[in-house]
Amino acid sequence: MLNDPRLILQSFIWRKKWAYLLSILSIIISEMVTVQFPNLIGKFTDLLSRGQLTTAGVLHYTWLLALVGVTYVILYGFGQFRNGQIGRQFEYELRKRLFIHWETLHTGYFRKRSVGDLLNHAMNDVRAVREAMSGGLNILTNSIFLLITTLFMTFTTISVSLTLVSIIPLIFVPFFIVWWGPRIRLASRHVQESLSTMADLSEESLASIRLIKTTGNERVEVGRFTKTVDTILMRQMDMFKRSALFQSFIPLMGSLSFAIALIYGGYLTVNHQIQLGMFVAFTLYLTMIITPLQQIGFVINNFQRASASMARLRILLMEQPEIVDLPNAKTLRDAKGEVSIHLDAFSYPDSLEPVLKQIHIRLQAGQTLGIVGRTGAGKTTLVNLLPRIFDPPDGSVFLDGEDVKTIKLTDLRSAIAYVPQDGFLFSAKVAENIGFGKKNPLFEEIETTSKDAHIYDDIIGFSRQFDTEIGERGIALSGGQKQRTAMARAFIKDAAILILDDSLSAVDMVTEKKIIERIRELRVGKTTIIVAHRLSAVRHADHIVVLDKGQIHEQGTHATLLNNQGIYADIWRLQSEGEEWT
Amino acid sequence: MKKQDNQNNIHSLMRLLPYAKPYTAQFLGVFLLVVIFNATSVLQPYLVKVAIDSDISILHPNLQGVFIIGAIYVGIVILGVFSNIFQMLLLQYTGQRVIRKIRIDVFSHIEQQGMDFFDNHAIGRLVTNISSDTETVSQFFTQFFLSMIRDGLSIIMIVIAMFELDVRIAWECMMVIPIIFAISLLFRNWLRDAYQATRTRLSNIVAFLAENLAGMRIIQIFHQEAQQSDRFESLNSQHRRANVNEYGISVIFNRVLELLGNLAVAAVVFVGGGAVLHHVILFGTLYAFISYIQKFFQPINSITQQWNTLQSSMVAADRIGKVLIVESKIQDPAMPVSLTEARGKIEFREVDFSYHQGEPILKKVSLVIEPGQFVGFVGATGAGKSTIMSLLTRQYDPNAGKILLDDVDISQLSLTDLHHYVGMVQQDLQLFTGTIADNIRMFRPEIDEETIVSAAKAVGIHHLIERMPDGYQTWLYAKGANISMGERQLLSFARMVALNPKVLILDEATASLDSQTEEMVQNGLSRLAESRTTLVIAHRLSTVRHADVIFVMDHGQVVEQGTHDQLLQQRGIYAELYENAGIEVLA
Repeated sequence: MLNDPRLILQSFIWRKKWAYLLSILSIIISEMVTVQFPNLIGKFTDLLSRGQLTTAGVLHYTWLLALVGVTYVILYGFGQFRNGQIGRQFEYELRKRLFIHWETLHTGYFRKRSVGDLLNHAMNDVRAVREAMSGGLNILTNSIFLLITTLFMTFTTISVSLTLVSIIPLIFVPFFIVWWGPRIRLASRHVQESLSTMADLSEESLASIRLIKTTGNERVEVGRFTKTVDTILMRQMDMFKRSALFQSFIPLMGSLSFAIALIYGGYLTVNHQIQLGMFVAFTLYLTMIITPLQQIGFVINNFQRASASMARLRILLMEQPEIVDLPNAKTLRDAKGEVSIHLDAFSYPDSLEPVLKQIHIRLQAGQTLGIVGRTGAGKTTLVNLLPRIFDPPDGSVFLDGEDVKTIKLTDLRSAIAYVPQDGFLFSAKVAENIGFGKKNPLFEEIETTSKDAHIYDDIIGFSRQFDTEIGERGIALSGGQKQRTAMARAFIKDAAILILDDSLSAVDMVTEKKIIERIRELRVGKTTIIVAHRLSAVRHADHIVVLDKGQIHEQGTHATLLNNQGIYADIWRLQSEGEEWT
Repeated sequence: MKKQDNQNNIHSLMRLLPYAKPYTAQFLGVFLLVVIFNATSVLQPYLVKVAIDSDISILHPNLQGVFIIGAIYVGIVILGVFSNIFQMLLLQYTGQRVIRKIRIDVFSHIEQQGMDFFDNHAIGRLVTNISSDTETVSQFFTQFFLSMIRDGLSIIMIVIAMFELDVRIAWECMMVIPIIFAISLLFRNWLRDAYQATRTRLSNIVAFLAENLAGMRIIQIFHQEAQQSDRFESLNSQHRRANVNEYGISVIFNRVLELLGNLAVAAVVFVGGGAVLHHVILFGTLYAFISYIQKFFQPINSITQQWNTLQSSMVAADRIGKVLIVESKIQDPAMPVSLTEARGKIEFREVDFSYHQGEPILKKVSLVIEPGQFVGFVGATGAGKSTIMSLLTRQYDPNAGKILLDDVDISQLSLTDLHHYVGMVQQDLQLFTGTIADNIRMFRPEIDEETIVSAAKAVGIHHLIERMPDGYQTWLYAKGANISMGERQLLSFARMVALNPKVLILDEATASLDSQTEEMVQNGLSRLAESRTTLVIAHRLSTVRHADVIFVMDHGQVVEQGTHDQLLQQRGIYAELYENAGIEVLA
């Protein structure tokens, strides 16, 4: 409940109430000051046209005008800046809240939603809310008070009828903006889309340049490219048509209203119903009023966007974390590493089809388990249940005799070191990546584990060695290098249980063999679970499970399984033949 | 040095000017419309002045005159609005046409380059050239050009109007121009730096979030939530500080300009008021001066913004120019020989090649492959297997020696012909965003449905495609997440069957496939190899075992050749490779 963005916003505003009061007050005062500008010029005109002004009088008015100008700019600038600053503070707090919230959500959530989509919310929706809070608020206070004070001034000091008649064209401006603004935004989004289609196509084409060249397909590609460029042209013209109309409408209405003021105000002046000074002041008031009217339209659009963003953020922030500690979760210190699985069926939260069925495995502390099977057989799912990446059913997965769901998450995960299939690394230094899971790791430890994972020689070959940045801003590692680095990251944790989730797939045969040998030395007396495609990685395991379509098809040691003449023996034969060997 | 750079940049912008030349008439039209628009807007305060001085005056009121001026006023407003709309549309249309042509030229120029070009240019950089650099250059036409004539004319016309009204006061008003320029330029630099700082920090946040969302599982398993949110905290607050700073500068800038405007009006009131007192000017003239001085700010401010636009379009034009200037190293022969019908015989005669001088990759490689043979190339990484294939498809030209297809030097063939006869399946299997059918036919309209289907049947992927929701119309994405590794492989085989080259080169994928897929791929491969010469860079024993000839490569030379059995008996490198494969073949 604490995460409802509306409540967050309310409590934020409450916290900042004095700051807001101050900035809004200073904006309001600034408006009351600035409307004196036309008033002064009007009076000055009257005195001047009646010949009642001296040089000293002219100087007096000059000083007054300058004073109005300075006071307004200072007060308004202050209020505007403070509001903007507070809005940015909220933007910052909301983003922080989002990130911390995301850290509590489980993998299944991130599988359902694309990273790009979530990013979009974190960046654009949060920004839309901030824009409404700072710019929107400024403009809103500014326009409303400027409008009120201006109308008040024209009503009281000039002429009610002249005011009412002259502002008729201006009334349309905010409605027009609310109606037409979204159409321009839509058109502009279409332009952006077509631009990114073009960028995607050229990236795709250049990434395949070898294929395109060897098939002599350049001309076809240029044809495809031309089509996307033509779409851009078309959409851009569509947008320009809409925005040209938009950009012309507002000044047109302003000028029409000015023309009415000129004719009707001139008529009133000639008939001595108002004075020349009032006429002059009124034309100046009109120019002051155009801006707030047009801004009110923008603010309405702005608030509409922000409220849609708030609704989207609400959905994100209200998502309940599913994998959490039970109220009376048990602590687990110095895990021994005994694992047993008694699983009738497991299916992912969003589907009914079970991915795993009838899995019963017992692993003594210190043993090695090998899991093999085809792509999609359920190997990764099975090993993901142990560290609760996905939650198993109650009473089905046990560590040291305790249901993993009753153990404190922190303790459970400290007992497990995990090497993912994709060798996911962060954009940071090599040393930081290897030491990721350990508080203040020693450099010697990092070095040793990198030797264990056979990545040391690669790292020494990099220009800045262990300080080399990898990922986005640094060098790109090969698939095998990534996997071996991720392996070092898991080794340094030296946990009771080590899980390799098909994490040698991109490592060549010879290195794989060496790493497996090293793991056998390092993991003596510690539990190790190895998921693999290649049987050579699991053949020395104490126990091997062959999964097929989510079920245990056969199990045993390498020798017994070969004797079985089942799937395992088949795969062994095929792999010996078809194995990559260069 | 800096100046030199600027001159070069201007030069490269000039090089793009011929693209605008066909549109001279349109640009002139824009100019004319801008003149009309500016004239109407400068006339407006003048009309009010006339009304005040001659018609609304207390001394000789003239109601009819007020109405006439009001009517003229409405007339010029409408004229101005229409000329403005037409000007915007005409300019945008013209600018976009120019950019369209530049884009297509840049893209096709890049596509024509030899592979050495792509070795030296990162794809991301090239995509930026095509998409965003061209967009930036287009701002030169649509923003810079427009601002120069619109704002420039506007300033000139206001100045003229002021001098028409009263020379002395006009001179005094001129003082404000350098002040506005100076303030705008000064703030422009601050604003740009502050904006860039915010942008950089924002993109740090985006990059961090993208990565951490993708790797959330790792963060959770390694229990590093607190550490990562501390890191986020630091990036997040850096961004907030930069953003507040940027906002502060822009607030100050806008308010300072506004203040200057207010003070200028006060000054005009002082100077003009005195003049009215001494009957030098009428009150209407003072009114017009107040209006004009307020109109001064917008165009001057807008012109100073164009400095940045000009700079960035020059830089972008320079980058585009650097791409356009590169001539492809691989050129069609002046008088190409045409093969009536290729048989598929291949010969390398003493071919030398190096990517970088002094680091030879191939050394005097000679080999002959007869039409229809199935040939395997094996050897360690870097032995030169891939290079042989690159030379055969003329992605590079050899430094010495000759490569012959059916006894004709391939450099004598047109590239189109060569690529028609020699096809290649690479290790990284490329997909295009489009339907499966489009992916097989490579978007070529001349390849019909029938050919596509029979190609798919030939490599054994037809039944898999049929099972997909939209069959051959199933939409694929370049990253190919919606199709398995094995299917991709088969699809690229089908592509080759549809293109039907006489010589096929295959760089076998090293990624491990599961056994069922492995079998499918091997079957597809043997169907593909039928009725053509096939060269395979082999990573699997099962692939080379039945090859007609195996070439064993080592350090840029062919060191052994023969069938599998012959080579095993030779007890050379091949036999050694075979034994070190780390596989104990079961009896």
